[in-house]
Amino acid sequence: MKELPPKYALRFLRWFCREDFIDEIEGDLIEVFEHQYKETPRGANWTFIWQVLLHFRPDFIKSFRDHPLIYPGMLKHNLLITYRGFMRHKSSFLINLLGLSTGLACVFIIYLWVADELSIDKFHKNDRQLYQVMQNRKIPQGIITRTLTPTPLTPALTEEIPEVAAAISISADEERPRGILSTDGKEIVTDGIYTTKNYFEAFSYDLRHGKPEQVLADKNNIVLSQALALKLFPSTTDIIGKSIEWRDRVFQVSGIFSGPPPNSTKQFDFVLNMDVMLERDEYAGMWNGDYAETYVILKEGTDVDQFNEQIGPFLKSKDPGRDRSTLFVQQYSKRYLHARFENGVQAGGRIAYVRLFSLTAFFILLIACINFMNLSTALATRKMKEIGVKKAMGAQRKSLVFQFLSEAVLMSLLSLIIALGWVALVLPQFNLLTDKSLHLNINAEHILIVLGVVISTGLIAGSYPALYLSKFKPVAVLKGVRATSSGEQWLRKGLVVFQFALSVIFIVGVLVVNRQMDYIQTKNIGFNRDHVISFERARFSGDPDVFLSELRNTPGVISVANMWNSILGGGGGQSGYSWRGEVADEDFRFKSPLISYNVVETLGMDVLAGRGFSKEHGDDDSKIVINEAALKLMAIENPIGEKIKYGDDQREIIGVIGDFHYGSIHHLVEPLIFRFARPRARNIMVRIQEGTEKSTLAKMEALYTEFHPPYPFEYTFLDEDYQQLHVAESRVATLSKYFTGLAILISCLGLLGLAAFTAEQRTKEIGIRKILGASVFGIVRLLSADFTKMVILAILLALPISYFMTKNWLAGFAYKIDLEWWYFVAAASVTFFIAWFTVGLQTLKAARVNPATSLRDE
Amino acid sequence: MKPPSLGEFEELVLLTVAAQHDEAYGVSIKESLEKQLDKTINISAIHVALKRMSEKGFVDARFGGITQDRGGRRKKFYVITAFGKQMLDRQYEIRSSLYHRIPNISFG
Repeated sequence: MKELPPKYALRFLRWFCREDFIDEIEGDLIEVFEHQYKETPRGANWTFIWQVLLHFRPDFIKSFRDHPLIYPGMLKHNLLITYRGFMRHKSSFLINLLGLSTGLACVFIIYLWVADELSIDKFHKNDRQLYQVMQNRKIPQGIITRTLTPTPLTPALTEEIPEVAAAISISADEERPRGILSTDGKEIVTDGIYTTKNYFEAFSYDLRHGKPEQVLADKNNIVLSQALALKLFPSTTDIIGKSIEWRDRVFQVSGIFSGPPPNSTKQFDFVLNMDVMLERDEYAGMWNGDYAETYVILKEGTDVDQFNEQIGPFLKSKDPGRDRSTLFVQQYSKRYLHARFENGVQAGGRIAYVRLFSLTAFFILLIACINFMNLSTALATRKMKEIGVKKAMGAQRKSLVFQFLSEAVLMSLLSLIIALGWVALVLPQFNLLTDKSLHLNINAEHILIVLGVVISTGLIAGSYPALYLSKFKPVAVLKGVRATSSGEQWLRKGLVVFQFALSVIFIVGVLVVNRQMDYIQTKNIGFNRDHVISFERARFSGDPDVFLSELRNTPGVISVANMWNSILGGGGGQSGYSWRGEVADEDFRFKSPLISYNVVETLGMDVLAGRGFSKEHGDDDSKIVINEAALKLMAIENPIGEKIKYGDDQREIIGVIGDFHYGSIHHLVEPLIFRFARPRARNIMVRIQEGTEKSTLAKMEALYTEFHPPYPFEYTFLDEDYQQLHVAESRVATLSKYFTGLAILISCLGLLGLAAFTAEQRTKEIGIRKILGASVFGIVRLLSADFTKMVILAILLALPISYFMTKNWLAGFAYKIDLEWWYFVAAASVTFFIAWFTVGLQTLKAARVNPATSLRDE
Repeated sequence: MKPPSLGEFEELVLLTVAAQHDEAYGVSIKESLEKQLDKTINISAIHVALKRMSEKGFVDARFGGITQDRGGRRKKFYVITAFGKQMLDRQYEIRSSLYHRIPNISFG
């Protein structure tokens, strides 16, 4: 038996090698191969392959210039034909161009957004091994997941768990160092973080001056951001070692970093040693309080599941009181997109929106591609003669496929230019809407991706026409017989149905999302959030009571209240209450915000019985106010004056207020106990006279700066804060409107093209019908019957799908609108009428043509 | 125009072609050279050398007949041209004249 050299290598050689050398080279190679094969068959194979590769050099590669597909003359010819085609069928050319460019623009914008979302917190060089330690805590209602942990956890993990290469603490947001940094004569209000010494080694923030392992070595060190350093000093050179004062304490500048990049979730301007926080707050260093975020760098190859099991009971082993807490880790760069936990289990987060918009982009581009396919195959009749002649002249199918594909790719390249124009135009608006700073920057990666998308769009859009058109038999085509197979008709109709089904789904989605948003914005949340100014008072040494009463006496101010938590924050919870009633569950965790006087009045909450805290009654922390849900839970007949127990203390209920939304509307209203806070509470809410906002705010600002130099008066309106709580959803609502509009627009463009085409094809038929007495309306009906059926089918298919999708989305809200039948009817009729309008206009135009014109020739 | 040059490897191949007059083809050249130089030689290097030399006019080529061997591929036989021979002679002269200029050095 003769031994054969490796098949693929041989085929490759034959493919690239010049005709006049193939005999010599292949023959010699085979001869050498056969010689060697007798000794080492494997070696011979390898030598053969290697030798083939060595021959792959300019000396022996054939000139592909003469290749029929890339022959310049042919290419020029193809271009010319394409150009003429565009010129002759301007309307379908424009429809294609508009559709594809809009589709591409959507894809690019969404790509930029998605890429930005995905890049968040990914810039740390330890990214793969950097994890945040999270805490699951059991409460009677289930498990809540917290990001905060005790500060002693960091040294304990480093010492006791071998898999931990390093552990880092960062102060919780409420504990961050804020306030005035001062140098000679300069005072700047800013905020920073406390963290452990190894911070700059673990996290990749660019240190301009100082060494990562040294900058926080001493507890008197302070590291400044470049921007802050320039505000405090004339330049950043030679400021290492200079002194800065913060809260009566002097720190030495030990490093300058360039400031967190915009794709970092942590934003801060200066960094202090964790020990400073431990000295300032005696509770901060204990196991029973959560004062910090803890991060760990795991050693390479650590099994995360196993690690989680290992650290699960870690807190309990340190402090038996924390037996309800278990620890686990989540990769830090995943935190941003996967932040939601339900009952201790990861339940998505922003990633849902990333997916949603990626899908949207894909479908919009798909709709545009479908248009292209449909129009091209529909226009096939016009190309039949060309194809027939070419085939008769000996054109291979291959070269026809190449011609049509290159036409499609050219089309998409033209669309690319327009799409880039769109993107440049729309991006500033999009940035405003999404609160990002996206921009088209030209780098290799972007160019590759853009070209990849564009060329594959061209190939996908062109594939069907190319394969379909090149299939025609020349004889049949030249005779003028065109066998339109029912399969092809089906495909075209199927694509239209698909397009419109998508449009219906988009419309239902938009309707539901926007109704839900309206519902959230206007829902009675249990207190009046209009005309309320909210601000956080800076610390100062004087008596806050004086400031508060001055504020109360300012003209235009109706009432002033203060509390510790934010009324929109939903934070703070306490268990350990017991009461006389049918049920008494000491483990039950009440929402328990700390409020001072006048909160109930200022926010206009419903008082069902009793009253809120007031100064006149001399209320103190032995009194509480509860909400309706808490009353129901406690099942007490006459709540006012009732004493409930908190540990050994007695707390007297002095009021019951109606249920209100504490936090975002995603959560159900929970039983709540208002605890009393001293007037020092710094979260201040001021209800002001409607219409006097400007003058009242000016007066408030003057008062504020008088009491709190040099802090600027930074306030927000409570109703805007409330909107901010649901900003993710309202962005989705707004964006979905635009994208749906685009999807419908593109679908209609396609339909318009098809309708125009059908009408044109049946010109003669229409003429004859009219002569025989058909009415204009009858003809319109005849022509649009097909489209009507397709659209109706699309609607029937889309409604159940959209029902399930919207139902699913609404399930994420505790308070939601009902899915009413008319959303679906509205979506269906909107789609139907838009489609009918598009088709109707075209057919009407065709039907009104004077039959004499259409029948004149022949 | 500069006269075409002859590289070292090309010279070796050309010498072999001349030696195997009218019977030289890729594999025979490779085997002969391998024997002489006592090292393995890539056949691609020989093909390249032969192509370049035939472009420079040092060798001529003719095809052999089709046989059952070599996967049915013809052999390409090379012969040295007059110009090629001239080149070899000149090269040889230069080298020997240079060599003779070496004074008697003893490395004893």
